[in-house]
Amino acid sequence: MAASLTGLLKPWTPRVLLVRWSRYNPYYLEPGPRKEVYHIPETELTPEQKEERELKSVRPIKAATNSVTSSVFNDPVLSKFVNMMMKDGDKIIAKGIITQTLENMKRKQVEKYHKAPEGKKAEIECNPYAIFHQALENCKPVIGLTSIQKGGKFYQVPIPLTDNRRRFLAMKWMITECRDNKHRRTLMYEKLSQELLAAFSKEGNVVKRKHELHKMAESNRAYAHYRWW
Amino acid sequence: MAASGGRTVGSFLWKCGNCCFNFNTVSSNLTRQVLSRQLCVSAVLHRKNLAAAGPEKFSEEFIKKQVEEFNIGKRHLANMMGEDPETFTQGDINRSIAYLFPSGLFDKKAKPLMKHPDEVFPKQRAVQWGADGRPFHFLFYTGKQSYYSLMHDTFTKALAVEKHQDRLRGKDLFTQDAKQISLVGSRWLLKEELEELLVETISEHDYARFIQLMERLLSLPYCSVEEDFVQRYRRQLEIQSSKQQVQPLQYDQHGVAYSTGDGKQRKTATGTVLLRDSGSGSISINGTNYVHYFPVLQDREQLMFPLHFMGVLGRFDMQCSVSGGGHSSQAGALRLAISRAMLSFLSEGQVETMRQAGLLTPDPRIKERKKPGQEGARRKFTWKKR
Repeated sequence: MAASLTGLLKPWTPRVLLVRWSRYNPYYLEPGPRKEVYHIPETELTPEQKEERELKSVRPIKAATNSVTSSVFNDPVLSKFVNMMMKDGDKIIAKGIITQTLENMKRKQVEKYHKAPEGKKAEIECNPYAIFHQALENCKPVIGLTSIQKGGKFYQVPIPLTDNRRRFLAMKWMITECRDNKHRRTLMYEKLSQELLAAFSKEGNVVKRKHELHKMAESNRAYAHYRWW
Repeated sequence: MAASGGRTVGSFLWKCGNCCFNFNTVSSNLTRQVLSRQLCVSAVLHRKNLAAAGPEKFSEEFIKKQVEEFNIGKRHLANMMGEDPETFTQGDINRSIAYLFPSGLFDKKAKPLMKHPDEVFPKQRAVQWGADGRPFHFLFYTGKQSYYSLMHDTFTKALAVEKHQDRLRGKDLFTQDAKQISLVGSRWLLKEELEELLVETISEHDYARFIQLMERLLSLPYCSVEEDFVQRYRRQLEIQSSKQQVQPLQYDQHGVAYSTGDGKQRKTATGTVLLRDSGSGSISINGTNYVHYFPVLQDREQLMFPLHFMGVLGRFDMQCSVSGGGHSSQAGALRLAISRAMLSFLSEGQVETMRQAGLLTPDPRIKERKKPGQEGARRKFTWKKR
């Protein structure tokens, strides 16, 4: 037993190099860096959580990545967005842009808050993280299109999208929109904060693009049965 | 063929043993015989097919005699090396043999070895048929009688469980939530282990079918009736956190507790940390303050990660030294060194929590090598049509 299991615990290179492989053996489990999970006492765990904990106690765990911490400011969605904004591995610049964007959004919202009449003050959202999440939610498409070949022709067929795909599309549209459709003198963070605030109130080009995709999917509804999976 | 080869090797070694080595203490001819004879039979280890080995080559009395000789030889070897024969372990034997018979050979199987006969001689089965030539087991002519009889037994047990369930249904005592066998923390027998158990070689397909049948048995609600049978074919997995080496806490002359995190690697960066339990929370890296050394927020967050996770942010004083790599890998190396240094201050449950958060695993990711025929690790050369 020991002889074959020690081989699973070392950093490995798989015998056949696939395109997506990692230095961890598939035996390793993902880490869970959040603090709160570990402070739940034994009695309040559900059976699934108990089973998960027991499984984790016998399996080796991967190391936490560089961008992950247990602090409250660590946001996985935001980290993903920063990585997508990054060019040539320059995370410092990408993170800087995002920080400036959030600050800018906060300033604009606080200005609006102070100018608003008493009754409307409660409706104005000042938390930039909440605005970011809500804007991203508003940009996520519900249904997507894919190209399927049937009888020599290619048709655009509506398909359901996974959560990861939806999030990716929303982020991608946001970034490309901010890179392409801006005046050459506006800085990235300025344009990004404008777009995010627009998306938060369901206006702007990104939300328009999402609606267009939905309309296309609706118009191609007849081809939905071409999908076989 | 192997026997004749062994005899020549044995005689050669016998002569070698006579001329090259002077034993200090009284060594009997028996020891040299034992050692040289054990060396001859190491070729047996190459034997692959256990069931088709034919009639047994080594009788039971022979194996017993080998075991006695091995034990006597072990005691003589202990005497020779000047150690206590009562507490002479296999590791000591290996070291003594490597000392007495230094070998420059690369092939591990060609080097001299002295192991217990149970490890040297493969497990064999006694003769499977009686004096009249008629085999004892009814599945002998399948060729894999132990394997098929095991499958037969397992299926019989599955049928028995189903019959039990039907009986309970008849009496209206059937419940879906009967006590289940706990499978967490154990794994199925590996194919090699099963072969060892059955003293028979089985194919991958056979092994897969065996696991499938066991899973089917486990899918029945009342399988806990056959729990003993199932557990015989499962092995416990060891708890991973017990493998963590925790350094004991050290105290300096002022009575302040301190602990060192040994140099940890992250992608060619190595870092060491000296954690002091003084309560100020200052961090110095290579002599400079950490704010000046790591101007990027992400790196400082990585340093704080283990402390924040355990809730001991302002408690420790740290003196770190780091070299190699870039700023990110230096931060990663320091994080691992800090986590390891902190282990001495924590309890077992907290060590396990840190391990599950991914703080104690060294990151094995390295730069992927460049391949021939490509420009980099992934980038191919520009495609030219002609």
